[in-house]
Amino acid sequence: MLKLFEREQLNLAKLPEAQTAIEVRDLCLRFGDKHVLHNITMRIPKNRITALIGQSGCGKSTLISCFNRMNDLIDNSVTEGEIIIDGRNINRKKENLSILRSQVGMVFQRPNPFPMSIYDNVCYGLRLQGIKQRRQLDDAVERALIEAALWDEVKDRLFESATTLSGGQQQRLVIARALALKPSILLLDEPTSALDPLTTLIIEELMAELKKRCTIVIVTHNMQQASRVSDYTAFLHQGELVEYSDSDTLFTLPEKKQTEDYITGRYG
Amino acid sequence: MGKWSPRQFLSNRQQQSYVISLGAFCAGLLVVALACVLMLITIRGLDYFWPRPVQSIQFELPDGTAKQVYAQINERHINSAVESGSEPAFVFRYSDSQHPYGRSLLVEAHAVEVISEAQQAADILLHNGTRVFSEPLSIRLPEGQSGELAKYEEVRDTVTAIREQIETVRKERLASVHRELASLDLRQVEKDAPARLRLYADFERWQQEVLRLEAQLADYQLVTRFNNGSEFLIPLDDIDRLSYPGQLDWFGKLGIVGAGVVAFLTDAPKQANTAGGVFPALFGTVLMIFVMTILVTPFGVLAAVYLHEYAPDNHLTSVIRICVSNMAGVPSIVYGVFGLGFFVYLVGGNIDELFFSDALPAPTMGTPGVFWASLTMAILTLPVVIVATEEGLRRVPEGLKSGSYALGATKFETIWHTVLPMASPGIMTGVILAIARAAGEVAPLMLVGAVKFAPNLPFDGEFPYLHLDRQFMHLGVLIYDGAFHSQTDVRSASLMFASCLLLLVVVFVLNVLAVILRRRLRKRYLRGY
Repeated sequence: MLKLFEREQLNLAKLPEAQTAIEVRDLCLRFGDKHVLHNITMRIPKNRITALIGQSGCGKSTLISCFNRMNDLIDNSVTEGEIIIDGRNINRKKENLSILRSQVGMVFQRPNPFPMSIYDNVCYGLRLQGIKQRRQLDDAVERALIEAALWDEVKDRLFESATTLSGGQQQRLVIARALALKPSILLLDEPTSALDPLTTLIIEELMAELKKRCTIVIVTHNMQQASRVSDYTAFLHQGELVEYSDSDTLFTLPEKKQTEDYITGRYG
Repeated sequence: MGKWSPRQFLSNRQQQSYVISLGAFCAGLLVVALACVLMLITIRGLDYFWPRPVQSIQFELPDGTAKQVYAQINERHINSAVESGSEPAFVFRYSDSQHPYGRSLLVEAHAVEVISEAQQAADILLHNGTRVFSEPLSIRLPEGQSGELAKYEEVRDTVTAIREQIETVRKERLASVHRELASLDLRQVEKDAPARLRLYADFERWQQEVLRLEAQLADYQLVTRFNNGSEFLIPLDDIDRLSYPGQLDWFGKLGIVGAGVVAFLTDAPKQANTAGGVFPALFGTVLMIFVMTILVTPFGVLAAVYLHEYAPDNHLTSVIRICVSNMAGVPSIVYGVFGLGFFVYLVGGNIDELFFSDALPAPTMGTPGVFWASLTMAILTLPVVIVATEEGLRRVPEGLKSGSYALGATKFETIWHTVLPMASPGIMTGVILAIARAAGEVAPLMLVGAVKFAPNLPFDGEFPYLHLDRQFMHLGVLIYDGAFHSQTDVRSASLMFASCLLLLVVVFVLNVLAVILRRRLRKRYLRGY
């Protein structure tokens, strides 16, 4: 009973536009002749954590990469359908990718800090936008690092190389780097699979904190993690969206047989 | 019987020990070979600077006349079976009244009667590169006065001061009059125009001043005596360095070596590159390498970035890659011929026709010069830079590029801010290899601008200061030239070895600089990857 009050349930199928962060309509994607995503339609709610789960190769990383058009970097990728963020279809040809990617931040599986100082890492995106004033950069760095729960650990060594940080710190730095651009959506592609359990916990706590500021979409292989941190979960199988509902329901009373098989570990 | 296998004869352990010892032997041989090369070059090169004692020699010429001379014996005793039967012989250089400025001679050992130390004899090096071996007696001063030998240093200072005065007049007065006259010629001013007459008068006046000073200089002379007693006068102004090798202790000798090294590095070659220094060649070599590096680095990096980041992955790209690798194998002389035919004649010739047509038929750019040489070397070293840069680009993790894209960077911004800094150690490796290759090439350079003797440096005080159209001297060419000088003239042969040593030092220093830079880049960009 208490839990119901904690997590106010939204009707995902009829989510009002004001509460939708990403609306996916009939999204198909193929690499050359290989079809990876088939007719995906879903609405991802604002200021919630949505997890994408499924077997390796089911297309969940590809789906998450659609939200900031990272698939464009792969030579022969063809995307059809619409993805609506902020009221505009980001799949249109003239979408400005620089602006889109500063609105939709992304964090990858392996921490990938640039070989520069911690400070310069956080400034990277801002400097690309042409911000040069020291004051403005200083403020942004401090804010982003505080949001990423890293400030206390690095405030005395901002100008040391970012590669001297530990794995967990590096991953939080990468999150801070994305947060510095004040994104409305944060995409996390298996952000903790290269980290130890304790560091994973820190990142998970961070996510719970961050969802107040932005919508989070996370890809994970870890079922416990998905049930722990996410409000909603989507299960993908061979490029199709099999089931999408709030996490409690999906992990306790899955509707489809495939979902049940997967979450109980019968395959995958 | 199965196939032959070493297991039939040797245990595993034996096998391993044989392989290790064979490998170690080969590696050791390599080190020994390198050490031999370095030792030979160093010893023979330093020999050029080591002072040799002046000795008093009595010998008989083949026609029976006896001679007593001061001489420096070359260390090499030539067992010249060809020239004088099977007898050993001495090769030495002596001075006497017939050949005051030195003569090299090969004398059979039996014709030499006495060899003794001559501590009182001096080795006098003149400004033109020749040497006189004789015994200084006194100094002759103006108006028939004569001075003590002890005052030598003092008198020399006076002479140097007068010489400087002459040079000042030449540079500041006569040169400007010359320039103005030349500009009058260019504008075809009348022969008897007042401006011209005034300049002639000026010229005459300053010319007189120079003549007066030179006459004054000629009065200062060093009186010396050859071994046979005849006196010989040397103008003090002609003397570069005077030393008594017989009286020197170790420190004195080292001082002579130091002075010799400094002169070697700062002087121009004399006596058709058999004496003097190599400064123009050193300058030319370093300048050529610098200009080449400035040309080849951006060009090679751009090409590599295009090939690795932008070019579509198709047959054409792989054909280009193969061509780049094959370019590295083309003999360097081919590049020399290409540089001469394409850069000098075609490009240079067209530049002349377009921009310097008033100077034709005398070519301005259509002639071998340091710029064309650098450009040719840049083409020659381009594949090395491209291959090394691509290797560096390949090592940039994909994740970093994605990270940059994910923050909104465009492809160019990603390459500029992330990929190139991380590939910079690879680029430096390419530059190091290019420098090493370019510094060692001689053949193509001789076609496109390097000469045995260049009257002017490619750099001087005249606008635009750096004259990249001029021909230049190069250490490699100097060595090549030196190898053809008389084999008995040991001093010029050791000039060649000294140049060789210098070339090694130049390449080594440039390489060390590049390696230090690469280490700093690695530390900055690749730590933790």
